[in-house]
Amino acid sequence: MNQFVQLALSNGVPLDTLILVLLLPIIVTMIAFFRQVIGIKAFGIYTPAIITFAFLATNEIRYGIAIFVTVIAMGTFIRYLLKQFRLLYLPRVAIMITIVGFSILILLIIGGIYNRTGLASVSIFPILIMITLVEKFVAVQIEKGGRAALILAFETLLISVIGYYIASWTALIGFVLNYPWVTLLTIPANIFLGKWTGLRLSEYFRFREIIKSK
Amino acid sequence: MTTLFKNSRKILGMNARNLKFIRPNNLRRAKRLADDKLSSKQMLKKADLPVPGLIAKIGNLDELENFDWSALPGSWVLKPNRGFGGEGILVVYGKKKGAENIWIKADGSLVSLDDIKTHITNIVDGSFSLSGVPDVAFFEERLKLLKLFKPYAFKGVPDIRIVVFNKVPVMAMLRLPTRESDGKANLQQGAVGVGVDMATGVTTTAVYRKNTIVEYLPGTRLILSGIRIPHWKDILMMAVKAQEVSGLGFLGADVAIDGERGPVFLELNARPGLSIQIANLDGLLGRLERVEGLKIKTAEKGVAVGMNLFGGEIEEEIEDISGKRMIGTVEKVKLFGKNGNEVEVEAKIDTGAEYTSIDQEIAKKIGFSSVIEYFEKIDLPEDFSREGGKQILDDLRKKYLAGHDDIVDFDIVYSASGRTIRPNVKIKLALGEEEISSKANIAKRVNLKYPAIIGKRDLKKFLIEVK
Repeated sequence: MNQFVQLALSNGVPLDTLILVLLLPIIVTMIAFFRQVIGIKAFGIYTPAIITFAFLATNEIRYGIAIFVTVIAMGTFIRYLLKQFRLLYLPRVAIMITIVGFSILILLIIGGIYNRTGLASVSIFPILIMITLVEKFVAVQIEKGGRAALILAFETLLISVIGYYIASWTALIGFVLNYPWVTLLTIPANIFLGKWTGLRLSEYFRFREIIKSK
Repeated sequence: MTTLFKNSRKILGMNARNLKFIRPNNLRRAKRLADDKLSSKQMLKKADLPVPGLIAKIGNLDELENFDWSALPGSWVLKPNRGFGGEGILVVYGKKKGAENIWIKADGSLVSLDDIKTHITNIVDGSFSLSGVPDVAFFEERLKLLKLFKPYAFKGVPDIRIVVFNKVPVMAMLRLPTRESDGKANLQQGAVGVGVDMATGVTTTAVYRKNTIVEYLPGTRLILSGIRIPHWKDILMMAVKAQEVSGLGFLGADVAIDGERGPVFLELNARPGLSIQIANLDGLLGRLERVEGLKIKTAEKGVAVGMNLFGGEIEEEIEDISGKRMIGTVEKVKLFGKNGNEVEVEAKIDTGAEYTSIDQEIAKKIGFSSVIEYFEKIDLPEDFSREGGKQILDDLRKKYLAGHDDIVDFDIVYSASGRTIRPNVKIKLALGEEEISSKANIAKRVNLKYPAIIGKRDLKKFLIEVK
């Protein structure tokens, strides 16, 4: 094992923390790649990264996905309900978080009734993260409209699921523990991405009529 | 795959737009100015560029409480200063008669003073501004819809987006509000974007719902190509001047044409969208690269370069040589009848016909109802030979020509469907910029595709392009 990793472990840094911090650069670089080269946007970089880790912290990813979908579905529904009251931003978000929180509790109880004990025993950290996801969702709803917000939510889910599988890949974890410095190679990779001016993959699709017409 | 890649190199993507054009050319101060509608309005006005008049602004709840509502004119537009994507804009067309402080919206629904106050409170609290920062609400003059655009625009005013780079107007698009976009000229909200030929200001191809190329305005039979945008050169000139004063090296200028004042600025955009490329079926990157680095001293020069590089193609060249205007086999034609009545129709350009012919319904619209009534009373011979036709015409002329002032002659028209006798009236045609005095016969064309055909006699000044 790498000396740096041994130094960290022997000084009381938990192994899980070490792994997550070492995987973080890879996850965020992947998100940047998806945005700049493929054209899948998601809610910025923070949200898909943190959702990825929330998925890692739930026992099984399908429970994570169930919670995520519930939050987005409730977010869409409550927005529709609250529209007529014309509330200011923060009070409106507070109401949404409240209702979403209760919906998640109900989801957990339903899980318990059907003997999905894994769902009920999901720790509070990922649940809180996903409940507060609704704020990001509302902000995008206001800025870009309901349809765009749903598309971005779906893209966030997609990226987070891919991130989850990358981050739970044991070969990769073993590799970064042996060669922790290699994760720094994401910096030059991001410099390249940051200077990339080519068309995104999604733009070949968006502009297909122009490409066809030539 | 390789051709796909080669062709797409001229298209401007999001990455290149941000990194190569917005970042180096649009400084933060200029961007902030563009995002602030009131400041950019003031700046444009200072530079003697036309903007819709500002009526009043409300920056906080105190000002809202003390606002003098009686000072508002009958029609106005209420906007959030830092709004985006057309959100939070309220347009009223007039005050309800006999009621105190009740206004009428474009769709006929009413807005009370309380509704307006709530709306302004929302604006001031930042409900419509980027990231929810407190905002200012302002009232400005409502623009009057130009007659030319009336059939094309649903409830709102169309606008023209012009992308200007390095003092050269490089690409433009006419945006038409639709039912779906609720009168807003925003493409994301369902407006139609129509590409524009830079040299002539004539519309070309159109896009609807992001990626659907359309020929007709959705839900109608109106062809979207061939609309000649008035004041074209002035509009380009304004856009270039706006770039000079705003300091935005890469600018999307939105100009609307007011029925009374002519072109006015709606807003300036520091991050112009990329859909304009689909409307024009052409890439922006190729055009931007051609203009980059040119040393352009004056706005006039920039406009001339833009018109020369990005418009015209072959049509205008042929016109230059022959002195005749080129038209297609179907064109929009304005018909002028009696007492200043006029109507615009899509007409078939038919060199197989000698005379111009118009449908009865059209004839009624331009003041010839009485001609049709009079003509219907005449007892017309049904069966006659080609040789007998001349005699019949002579008889008709003797008997009936004096009976109605508007009928100048009768004609027998031989067509695939048989022989018909038709009355002739004097009308004027406007085809593009040409005006022609014509003698047209009135026919029943109800089952035919075009309500008018333009015949040989009226086409001497044109070349007809058959596609």
